[in-house]
Amino acid sequence: MDGFISAVTFVSRVAGVVGAFFIAAAVLIICDMVIERYIFNLTTIWQIDAVTYLTIAATFISSPYVLMTRGHVNVDILPLHLKPRARYVLALVTSFIALAFCVTLFVLCAAYWYEAYSERWLSNTVWRARLWIPLLSMPVGLFLLVLQYIVDIYCVMTGRTSPFGISARQDAEDVAREQAREALGGAP
Amino acid sequence: QVTLRASHQFPGGKGDVRDDMVQMLAKEMAASNLGVTVQVYPGASLFKPNDQWNATANGQLDITLFPLDYASGKVPVFSATLMPGLIRSQERAKRINKSQFMKDVRAEIEKRGVIVLSDAWFAGGVASKGGCIVKPDDMKGRKFRAAGPTFAGMWEAAGASIVSPPSNEIYNAFQTGVVNGTDTSLSTFNSMRLYEVADCLTAPGDNALWFMYQPMLMSKKSFDKLNKQQQDAILAAGKKAEAYFESKADAINQEAIKAFEDHKAKVVSLSDADYAAWLEVAKKTAYAEFAKAVPNGQKLIDEALAVK
Amino acid sequence: MSPAAQGSIVLIITLLMLVSGIPVAFGLGAIALAFLVIYQGFDALHVAAETLWSGLDDFTLVAIPMFVMMGAAIGSSPAGKDLYEALERWLYRVPGGLVVSNLGACAIFAALTGSSPACCAAIGKMGIPEMRKRGYPDDVATGSICAGGTLGILIPPSLTFILYGIATETSIGRLFIAGIMPGLLLTTMFMAWSIFKIWRSGFRAHAPDFRYSWKQKFESIPKIAPFLFIIAGVMYALYGGIATPSEAAGVGAALCLILAIAIYRLWKPDQIWHILRDTMRESVMILTIIATAVLFGYMLTSLYLTQTLAQGIADLHANKWVLMLLINLFLLVCGFFIPPAAIILMTSPILLPIITAAGFDPVWFGVILTINMEIGLIHPPVGLNIYIVNAIAPDVPLAKVMWGTLPYVVCMMLAIVILCIFPEIATWLPNHLMGPGK
Ligand code: NA
Ligand code: NA
Repeated sequence: MDGFISAVTFVSRVAGVVGAFFIAAAVLIICDMVIERYIFNLTTIWQIDAVTYLTIAATFISSPYVLMTRGHVNVDILPLHLKPRARYVLALVTSFIALAFCVTLFVLCAAYWYEAYSERWLSNTVWRARLWIPLLSMPVGLFLLVLQYIVDIYCVMTGRTSPFGISARQDAEDVAREQAREALGGAP
Repeated sequence: QVTLRASHQFPGGKGDVRDDMVQMLAKEMAASNLGVTVQVYPGASLFKPNDQWNATANGQLDITLFPLDYASGKVPVFSATLMPGLIRSQERAKRINKSQFMKDVRAEIEKRGVIVLSDAWFAGGVASKGGCIVKPDDMKGRKFRAAGPTFAGMWEAAGASIVSPPSNEIYNAFQTGVVNGTDTSLSTFNSMRLYEVADCLTAPGDNALWFMYQPMLMSKKSFDKLNKQQQDAILAAGKKAEAYFESKADAINQEAIKAFEDHKAKVVSLSDADYAAWLEVAKKTAYAEFAKAVPNGQKLIDEALAVK
Repeated sequence: MSPAAQGSIVLIITLLMLVSGIPVAFGLGAIALAFLVIYQGFDALHVAAETLWSGLDDFTLVAIPMFVMMGAAIGSSPAGKDLYEALERWLYRVPGGLVVSNLGACAIFAALTGSSPACCAAIGKMGIPEMRKRGYPDDVATGSICAGGTLGILIPPSLTFILYGIATETSIGRLFIAGIMPGLLLTTMFMAWSIFKIWRSGFRAHAPDFRYSWKQKFESIPKIAPFLFIIAGVMYALYGGIATPSEAAGVGAALCLILAIAIYRLWKPDQIWHILRDTMRESVMILTIIATAVLFGYMLTSLYLTQTLAQGIADLHANKWVLMLLINLFLLVCGFFIPPAAIILMTSPILLPIITAAGFDPVWFGVILTINMEIGLIHPPVGLNIYIVNAIAPDVPLAKVMWGTLPYVVCMMLAIVILCIFPEIATWLPNHLMGPGK
């Protein structure tokens, strides 16, 4: 299992890097578009679609990294007021609900992707992009997200991480302080 | 008791003829007392415009009224319903509806599990700032937002730079000069209040380049779930909505033209010679592309142009 | 089951889910899919993937990572310090000069970033220790920064406006301009309160025992000139016919990155990676909520719950100002514990038909909603800005920070009342610059 955990962690990290570079690429493409259009008065067709697809792809592909680094925002009022045992149970219940959602969505998105691929769908824009390419980011990202969730659940069950990332004696203020420190100095 | 869900992207309850058509169908069905309720979701409140096709084809949406070209990325043959110069005038649109061309288009729709309740062709034109657009040469140096790929190809070949701001930014883009020409239906120009920022409208007249097919459609799955009486009633209601649109079409066009005139914008239309010149450009771009992408593409174009 | 009963069940389950500690994005999505299956069968899931995709397939959304990157690039540099120092050299003779400079710096920084905590952290890091060193009361030093930080989402660019614009299909360019005058109004009110508080506490900040020479004053200008240049550039791009909001944001992000690298020497791969990673984390978090909020919204509309609620409220025939009061209270309560992105995406599609039916301007309401979100950022228990300030000045007791913040919350509520009486404060500028809205 340790091998699996480190493999998934590694993949999630790579996915995070990929997503960050997608966003960086989007910035460059927007600049390219603005320059081409306003300085050289050229036709700009592909850029808007490409930038949109890069942003969507970053969202899905980086989602496991954001989950791993606890970046998906949650409301932890209830967990903070529970006893450790109840908090542990709640963490498992919510994690399984989220996992079930991600698995369902993965199946639906994989089927949707396959339809787009086999029916050769094109975008409804002037560029006429082959939709299966950007759509691929949905099943891929969701699959990695499922893996990361399995790892997270396993780590909570084996006591490697604390439920909701809240250690035994923390209260609402401690957690908020931690978030603030993170916002001040960047993520861990 | 059956409840059918009808979705469209146009403003609800504000006199848009497309909303009126769907509401009319709902009222007719309620009045028929056959136990069919039609719930109307206007303004893309249920499905995004682009998602309505798949939802109708797979039976998740019962009724929709939408520009069929929105589905042309999924079903390339639908590009024929937003093709430069094919329809030419609102009068001719009625004759096209009875032609082989439309029989073929409806067959393509039905092949995919959707049936047509009402045919409706919406006239459009070009709004521009800094000079009117009549001849292909008028496109040189334009920053143009095109309604779809078929038109974009033609405008670009005539010398325009194609730009594609999101539709909710067109008004601002026009005002600031990011865009100085765009093509869409007259009713959309009107609802976007583009007459406030454009100084010329190329109106349909007798030689319109721009027509778009916006039919009212029903999912075959949902249709098959109705009994014979209900089916007949809904088909009849669809025909009634179609007749209503035909009676209103000219008035809608005139209303938009008047709004431009009231705002001191010039209103022009194409002469026979201008139309012929544009058709030459279309043949080399939009038509050629379509014939290449769709097996029976050339046949469809020939059928449409053959209508008197 | 009647839509009203269905609606109550959905509401209760949603609230339970939100407070359970599950990531908001996945909680909303899970509820959406579960209720679709329960009330419409498994076939209803057919549209989920397409709905999810087309919810994100929108060029407007690209503005989110772009504006986040602007803030991340500038925030990771010591730019905040330069900003308030320059202001201080020019304003130090004004009563309460330093706190006025800090609030001014917050307002300027707000024009460079779309988020509040970024604004709060960037100015507060240097501003709070300096104010305390010069003897300003602790509650003013911390409270003013807490409140000043919230200007980040009212003065354009603003993530809140982008989310509202997307959820309600309101022009984002128009919303941005609508935020300018209310932003300046709030800045002025914050400054006025700070000066009054300092004066009442007997601290005479306007008579410092040192002077800045003209040379020192002018020396500070080159340091802040690039910011003013970027702000002017982005604004010009937006309203001078150069670019749409997403494009302006993209160019702004690139310029801020270049500025951080060229002027503040953040050129090490490690430093650039930090900026990119912070951008990615925050934008992915927001975009994931957007994606699943679209599913959630589809579920609500598909079960006819949105329409039932709007109809129910219309049937009450309540006075429009009573309605506005109730909506504000509702948003205030939501702001206690739900993150702003989720509040806006979940409630604005439901609120908008109610708002427009009552005759309110959607752009004006966007401003009211944003001020409500600002309040949520600085009131306990989870107002993020409070804890950022607490992390900067750990020796100031949290209770003192909260009490110090309270008058600024009152300022914001007062601003809402002023905006209700004079809606032109929000609507005049966009109408004047962009013509009457649609
Ligand atoms: Na801002
Ligand atoms: Na809050």
